[in-house]
Parts: sequence; structure tokens; C-alpha cells
Amino acid sequence: MSEPVIHTFNHTAMATQFQVRIAVEEKSYAGQAAQAAFALTDNLESRLSRFRANSEISQIAQLAVGEKLRLTEPVLACLRHAQKMEFATRGAFSVTAAALKTQPTKPLWSLVENEFSIRCDSGRLEFDLGAIGKGFALDRMAEVLREWSCPAFLLIAGGSSILAGDAPTATAGWSCGLGDDNSARRHWLKNISLSGSGLAVKGNHIFDPRTGLPSSCRHRAWALTEFAAESDALSTACMILKEPEIAEILQRNADWLVFLQEKENWRHLGKRQMPPAA
Amino acid sequence: MVTKMATPSINRREFIGATAAAGAGLILSSCSPDSGSKSAANKASSLNKINIALIGCGAQGQVLLESLQVIEGIRLVAVADIWDYNRNSNVRRLKDNGFDVKGYRDYEELLANEKDLQAVIVAVPDFWHAPVTNACLKAGLHVYCEKMMSNTIEGARSMVATMRETGKLLQIGHQRRSNPRYVFALNRLVRDGQICGRLTAAQAQWNRAVTNDLGWPKHSDLKPEDLAKYGFKDMHQFRNWRWFKGLGGGPLSDLGAHQIDIFNWWFGGPPKSVMATGGLDYYKNHDWYDNAMVIYEYPLAEDVARAFYQVQTTTSAGGGYFEQFMGDEGTIKMSENPSITKIYREDRAKSWDELVAKNYLRASATAPVSDADKVDVRETAPLLQYDIPVSFTKKIHQPHLENFFNAIRGTAKLNCPADEAFRSEYVIHKANEAVAAQKMIAITPQETEA
Repeated sequence: MSEPVIHTFNHTAMATQFQVRIAVEEKSYAGQAAQAAFALTDNLESRLSRFRANSEISQIAQLAVGEKLRLTEPVLACLRHAQKMEFATRGAFSVTAAALKTQPTKPLWSLVENEFSIRCDSGRLEFDLGAIGKGFALDRMAEVLREWSCPAFLLIAGGSSILAGDAPTATAGWSCGLGDDNSARRHWLKNISLSGSGLAVKGNHIFDPRTGLPSSCRHRAWALTEFAAESDALSTACMILKEPEIAEILQRNADWLVFLQEKENWRHLGKRQMPPAA
Repeated sequence: MVTKMATPSINRREFIGATAAAGAGLILSSCSPDSGSKSAANKASSLNKINIALIGCGAQGQVLLESLQVIEGIRLVAVADIWDYNRNSNVRRLKDNGFDVKGYRDYEELLANEKDLQAVIVAVPDFWHAPVTNACLKAGLHVYCEKMMSNTIEGARSMVATMRETGKLLQIGHQRRSNPRYVFALNRLVRDGQICGRLTAAQAQWNRAVTNDLGWPKHSDLKPEDLAKYGFKDMHQFRNWRWFKGLGGGPLSDLGAHQIDIFNWWFGGPPKSVMATGGLDYYKNHDWYDNAMVIYEYPLAEDVARAFYQVQTTTSAGGGYFEQFMGDEGTIKMSENPSITKIYREDRAKSWDELVAKNYLRASATAPVSDADKVDVRETAPLLQYDIPVSFTKKIHQPHLENFFNAIRGTAKLNCPADEAFRSEYVIHKANEAVAAQKMIAITPQETEA
């Protein structure tokens, strides 16, 4: 059987290089589908970026205590993921982590679901979606590609988060490595997301939202989950969580898998079955 | 810590929609706020919730939907779109976000079934603007219609006539007219502060990189008979209507319309001539010019100011999209993107310290103060730069829509009624005409009146 044709498209958004790979015969059609997915990414950036004065995230930062802001559907959905992940990681992931640089205590917020709004409960809601927004964008791009009847895709955000769709024809999935280029630790992935965090590129840039201080327990961490928003957030949290804490979190989330690397020491945690080695 | 700053006079129109940035917080919170949408809704109980519908859920319709979802005092009850894919996905997303909306195939079906509407938002392709807007006005509805008003001057003129006949409101979507940063810059800096001195020139641009034509998902094609019914040759033309004569007006109309409207607005009236060049240089499967350069001459009290506009659709180079007004004492470069906005002072201009003290301007770097007989030598000092002290965090279309809804409630006047918009749109049509004619075309004030 011949190799599947994979078409690749690139686009810069969210200060990151996004890449769409689509296994489909017609390149022009794949290009149009990718263009629709990239347009969605641009739209999400305009809503989620703290660097855009008109974004909803910037508007949220202007809320006084007790004040509410009605949100559009994607922002509300992204913040639901953020809330879930902050709870699941016991605060090791938080969109308000960076706020502790300018505020003595962590600001508090609530989603008022029946009003589709966010409420500021204390402090200034200086959100940074850097550890969840790109993953969320991948989840939404996947929806677009499925609408376009292009289910066999691989979506990449800056090399740190991927979302694999269906496997290309006659393959076991998308071959994805953990770590440096052409890593020997490779797995076949399909309909799953993998995100990685580490110190190799940016140094220790990860703040512990619980203390407001730079912190990391290890060199690199990866998270394998269904949604890219969750793998993105979980991999960041796993950089600062101690191993027993991660194990406890994974006890309650059986469909998550975590890989940890400390120098040459590799291990994985979680009940989820390991994807097949590529 | 809050820095105390002087309070500039800012009128109610400038206040609406502006929110305070750090440093400007005291300014805006110390003003008497406009009645605004929230309090206006309480005053007019029958209009506590204005029932509206969106006609056209394409790219621009979705941009407007973003604002419509967060504006208080309105109820979105229906959307209409001839394309099932657009209509169904938007209805689904809106329902997911708490909006109980119905979906209709077109404006006629919508008008036949929705009997409790007060207003509609029209975001269909340009060549449908006049028929849809006229029908909705005649049905007793107020209309917010996207620009361009029409793909023809006659179509635009008919909309003004219907607005006058019915007495209903017709706002055209030149949203910068309600942007508090633009309103403040024009009223306080250009007019009151005279920071440009004598205006001599303007330039504006919106350049874009090459992109592929829009496609559509498999199995989502409109039926050929439906495409024909609604005036499209095929799905490619339906998805890319902006590029085709008879349907849209090309980049000068799509992008230039916003910025040439700013020329007219800030210069206080239409130009007396236009000359232009352009061509279908790149996209051979389109009708409209992909690159165009236009020069208008605006008659001013002192003499004349020339305004250059370019829209290139083969390169994004040139520094983004902006409108820049240049005078013999200063230059102001405006953009919907605040990071592009800059203000420059000529050395010959009188001091702007008073404007800074009144907080009409914010100096981003402070000049060192020293006695005339002494000098301190250190690193090269930065040049003085100025910013506009009004920050604006709402979605860029939101104030213009809010102005429309407040006008319905009777608490505001439209910032861009159709007769005012017509003056701008007439000269935009003339720019396309000048490209084709390859000559200067004279424009009289009378012909820009609808």
C-alpha cells in the first residue's frame, strides 16, 4: 500500500508557530481546511491574548471586585477548562500564577454559569492563558477540521503541544517523540493530545501559583490527555508538582498519563494504557 | 498607587465605551458618565430588552455576534443565513451560550415569522444590503447595516430614501465613528488642541499578504438553484463574493471604506477630486483590483489637503493598518490597534505642555530639565513621544452597536446615519471609477448628497 499523502501548513499566532498536517488526497482542499482552522486561531487570539487591549482577557483584568463580565462562548469554555485544571492539580496550574508578581495574594474569580459571566471575587484578575490557550486553540482547530471532513490530522502548537486526530490510512497513528529532535522515545498517537513542558528552551520560567516563586521539580514533563487544553495545563503543573502529588492526581483522573524526565531518569505515571511504541 | 492627574473635559459621546487604563482611571471615573446602555435601558422600560435579529452569519456577521453576545439590554432572538453550514453552526454555538435563537434561511422568512422585533443587524454580501435593508425598514424595523451600504451608488441612495420615508433609524457600520479613541483624538486633539496645526496631508493604508481563496467543507454546498436564486454563479463566487463585480466592491470598498470614511470625517466633508491607479495584478480568477493607490484632494479653509490611500493585497508590509493626518505642527497616526497609534510634534510647534497637563496627551518619555548655563552628559536621551490617554477595551464594533441601540431608546443620536455614510461611500465608489478611467475625477458637494 502506498504511503498516505500528508500536507503541511504553517501559521503564526499567539506568538507561536502553529502547524497543521492533514492526510488527505487533495492539497488545495487541505489548504482551505487549514486556512479555516488558522482563521479560528486568530479569532481566539483576539479574545484570549492579554496583550490585546480589546480582548476579553484584558477586559477581565479591568473588573472591580464584585463586578461581572459576560463572556463569549470560546472564552467561557477555555476558562471552564482552566477552572477544572486548577482544581484537578490542586492549584499547581493557575491562570492567575503571574498575578502574584504584582499582587500580594492570588486574585479569586468565579464563573457565573447561568449568566455566562465571570465575576471578580478579589484582587485584579490578571490572567495569563499561556499554559492553556494554545492547547485550547488546538482543540477548537480539531473541531473545524472534522467539520471539513479531514479527520486524519496532526496539530502542533510551537512544538510543545500536539493534538492527533485519526491515523493516516494504513498507519498506526502519528509518530510522536518525547524530547529532543528524533527522540528514540516515540509513540503512535491518534485521537489524543500530548504536551510537554521543560527548562531546556526558556530556563526556569515556570512560577508556582501557590507561592508566586519560580519553581521546578524536574527537567521535563509530558502529559497525555484527551483535550489539548488539559494536556497543556497538566504538563505545566507537573513541572512543579512532587511525584506523590502527581500520582494522587492521576488516581482521580484515570484517562491521564504523565511522563517525567530528570536527567537520564525516565518514568511514567497513571493508569492509562501506554500508547504503542513507534 | 494611583497617580493624581488633571481631568480633561470629555463629553458623553467620548465617554461611552471608553474604559480606564492605568493612569487614565481617574479621568474617566471623575467624569459625569453618559446615561449609557445600562441606565438607558432602565429609563425606557418598553425597551429594557430590544429584540434583534442578525441577517447574515458570515465572517462579518460573526464579528458582530461577538459584540452582540456581551451587550446588555438587547435580546438576540433570531439569525438568518442562506447557507445551512453557517446558520446551523451559529445557532448551535449561540444556544450553547444561553441564547434562545431561531434560525431562518433568509430575511423574508425571518420577517414573515418574527413579529416582535425592533431592529435587525444586516451583514449579508454588499449587493444584498439595499434590498434587505429597505425591506426591513419598510417592515418597521430599525437597521444597523454593515458597510458598504451597497455595491452601487443607486442602491445606497435608495437606502437613504427609505430611511427618510419610514422614519426608522439606519446606522451604517463605519465603527470607528463610535470608537472613543477616534472621537477623543478628533475632538480634543485635532479640533480643540489644534495639535496638527494647519493640516496639509493624510495617508492611510491597509495592506494584506496573499491568502488563498476561501473554500467550504465537503457536503456543505448550496444547491445550484439556491445559488442562482440568491445571485451567485457557484460556491467559489459565493464564498469569495467580495472579489466580484456586481456582488462587492473589492479591497477599496472592503478595507478602504473604513479609512476613506475617516478622511471625510476628520477633514469635515467630502473631497473635490479623486485620482487613482490599480489593477488586477495577482488573483487572475477575481474581478476586482487587488492593488490600488488613490489620491483625494480635500478643500479646507486654508487651502487644500491631499490624502493618499493604498490597499495592497499581495504584501502585508508597511506597518499595519492606520490613518495618519499630517500638519505643519504635528502628526497624528490613528489605528484601531492602539499599539500603532503615535503622535509626533514638529519642533516649530508651540509647547504641548498644557495639553499634557490637561491630560489630552500623555508624554511617554520626560524631557530632562536643566538650567541654560549647565548641561549633563549621559546616554542619548529618548525623543519625546506622545500617546492618547484614552484606553478602550471593548470589542471594536461594540460602541457603534451600542450607539445604535441607545439611539433606538432615544438616549443618543446615531454616529453614522445613512445620509452621513453616503457622503463617504460615494467617494469610495468614485475611487474604483477613477482606477478604471485612469484619470482625475472631479467631485462636487452636491453629488455626494443622497
